[in-house]
Amino acid sequence: MVLVLAIGDLHIPHRAPDLPAKFKSMLVPGKIQHIICTGNLCIKEVHDYLKSLCPSLHITRGEYDEDSRYPETKTLTIGQFKLGLCHGHQVVPWGDLDSLAMLQRQLDVDILVTGHTHQFKAYKHEAGVVINPGSATGAYSSITYDVNPSFVLMDIDGLRVVVYVYELIDGEVKVDKIDFKKTSTATI
Amino acid sequence: MVKKKRVPDWLNSPMWSSSTVTTSPPPKSRSLSPPPPSSSNDDRYGSYPSKSSSVTSSDSSLNEPHLPLPPPTSIKHEPIPIPTPRTRIRDSSTRSESSDNDISSYVEDVSRQSQLLEELSRKIINIGELRQLSLLGIPDGSGIRSTVWKLLLSYLPIDKGLWSSELAKKRSQYKHFKENLLMNPSEITRTLEVSASLKNGDLSEGKGLLTRSKLPQGEHPLSLGKTSIWNQFFQDSEIIEQIDRDVKRTHPDIQFFSGDSAYSKANQESLKNILIIFAKLNPGIRYVQGMNEVLAPLFYVFKNDPNEDYVINAEADTFFCFVELISGFRDNFCQQLDNSIVGIRSTISRLSQLLKQHDEELWRHLEVTTKVNPQFYAFRWITLLLTQEFNFTDSIHIWDTLLSDPEGPQETLLRVCCAMLILVRRRLLAGDFTANLKLLQSYPSTNVSQLLYLANKLRSC
Repeated sequence: MVLVLAIGDLHIPHRAPDLPAKFKSMLVPGKIQHIICTGNLCIKEVHDYLKSLCPSLHITRGEYDEDSRYPETKTLTIGQFKLGLCHGHQVVPWGDLDSLAMLQRQLDVDILVTGHTHQFKAYKHEAGVVINPGSATGAYSSITYDVNPSFVLMDIDGLRVVVYVYELIDGEVKVDKIDFKKTSTATI
Repeated sequence: MVKKKRVPDWLNSPMWSSSTVTTSPPPKSRSLSPPPPSSSNDDRYGSYPSKSSSVTSSDSSLNEPHLPLPPPTSIKHEPIPIPTPRTRIRDSSTRSESSDNDISSYVEDVSRQSQLLEELSRKIINIGELRQLSLLGIPDGSGIRSTVWKLLLSYLPIDKGLWSSELAKKRSQYKHFKENLLMNPSEITRTLEVSASLKNGDLSEGKGLLTRSKLPQGEHPLSLGKTSIWNQFFQDSEIIEQIDRDVKRTHPDIQFFSGDSAYSKANQESLKNILIIFAKLNPGIRYVQGMNEVLAPLFYVFKNDPNEDYVINAEADTFFCFVELISGFRDNFCQQLDNSIVGIRSTISRLSQLLKQHDEELWRHLEVTTKVNPQFYAFRWITLLLTQEFNFTDSIHIWDTLLSDPEGPQETLLRVCCAMLILVRRRLLAGDFTANLKLLQSYPSTNVSQLLYLANKLRSC
């Protein structure tokens, strides 16, 4: 039972001052085992904050990130799943699911986590699953109207993943979940 | 006969000094002192006969009227059926023949073993007799101790015919606990879900947006609600971590508990499971550091039973016996009750009173003169049932006596503690605060049978 937090596109301090208070009260250290961050934090203070939640922190570079040392893409294996991480501004057209599927095949991962569109999405195709955690602060985006703050928490348990989607809608935190599992013989 | 308040002379005898005094073997006839019949019936008190006679030879004038009546154990032995008098006669003759205590103690051991086996072989076991027999110690062989402890802790019913059904019931109950309480929240939510996981397909099927579904009962991992299983899980994980740390530190010198083999790892797993389930079932006291020490001897004895069936189910049996044992001491672990009548403070003060009653000089020296507050040493003695003061085998022997008390181990425990103090009285009387505290906090190794004999003697005074 591994809890993985997928979060990104905070755009602090440029487009948002901080995470919503309700999100902050839920994100406490000690519960989460890994954090994967799509990018665009943008400053070191946010990096430190995320590091305090969990020491295992993986970030990819977004176009506004001030730390240029983050990689463009990252892959990691958690339990039985291979996860891929990329900010997404590199994949054109932005948010296009077929192009993201191409990236996923390139990285050869079961779950690809990307951002940039500031809109939550969970999409399944033959090669795997693409998850976009959206923007955790609800920062402005030129390609999405009405951005709601959102992030994703994945519970990886053996061959099964439960994706909990946390969204702040009208000041209230709404949580949904998505289940999927992988067949062990799937050569994705 | 006026009972004076001064220290009784038998206390002043050289026998009670911590350095084991080996006096000369009994030359005199035994007519001077009433032969202590208890030694004829127990195994480890075999050393006593030589010493008692030396006592008579040195203080012959004063001893006879002051020696307490033959210890009540002899009186208690009367209701025991016929085998006993025969063995008594046989043993006393053996004793007079050879001053070699080993032979007589071996014979007594065998006789004890046969008595116990005979008792255990009955259809309806007389628990009172069993208690009296175990008061003097249970022999180490043939899994007798394992069965006797289970009977003394009321885990096995006294009607032997009911054993298999009771055991099956309890074991399945434990299995049930394990399944329910040791599940992590992911598994729990999976079972809570109504259906639909079939709908959320495999990764290998088609393409499309994944459907979002509602949470089962609003449960999500970051939930801060008090009743949320996730929240409880994270709170429990602290306790589980502590249990894990303590179990790893239990008895590092004993292979059974802390070797590198799969066997010891499995044992540690079992200990952990028992403690975790206990903590979850008892939110009042949860887990307190030290419970692992109380659990260890139980598990060790049950796991080393020659009966295969008992070995496999040792974990379940230990759990229930542990619950029974702790229930007598619950109040010691509850912090709020510390200052109350049933709390640990009052128990310690009872020990103090007991010492005052039996050995006022020592009591005065300890508490008034050197100001050694009994809390400094007795806390660990009492809450951990003396497991930390003696080596493992000795503490198991002491537990035989503790568990045999029909009123619960507490009373006997206090008497044993008092006996421990009296045994080292000479050193204590000579020591100051630091020396005494040091002595009592790392109690010197001593002859356990001597200790238990003295503890029993205190009952009669």
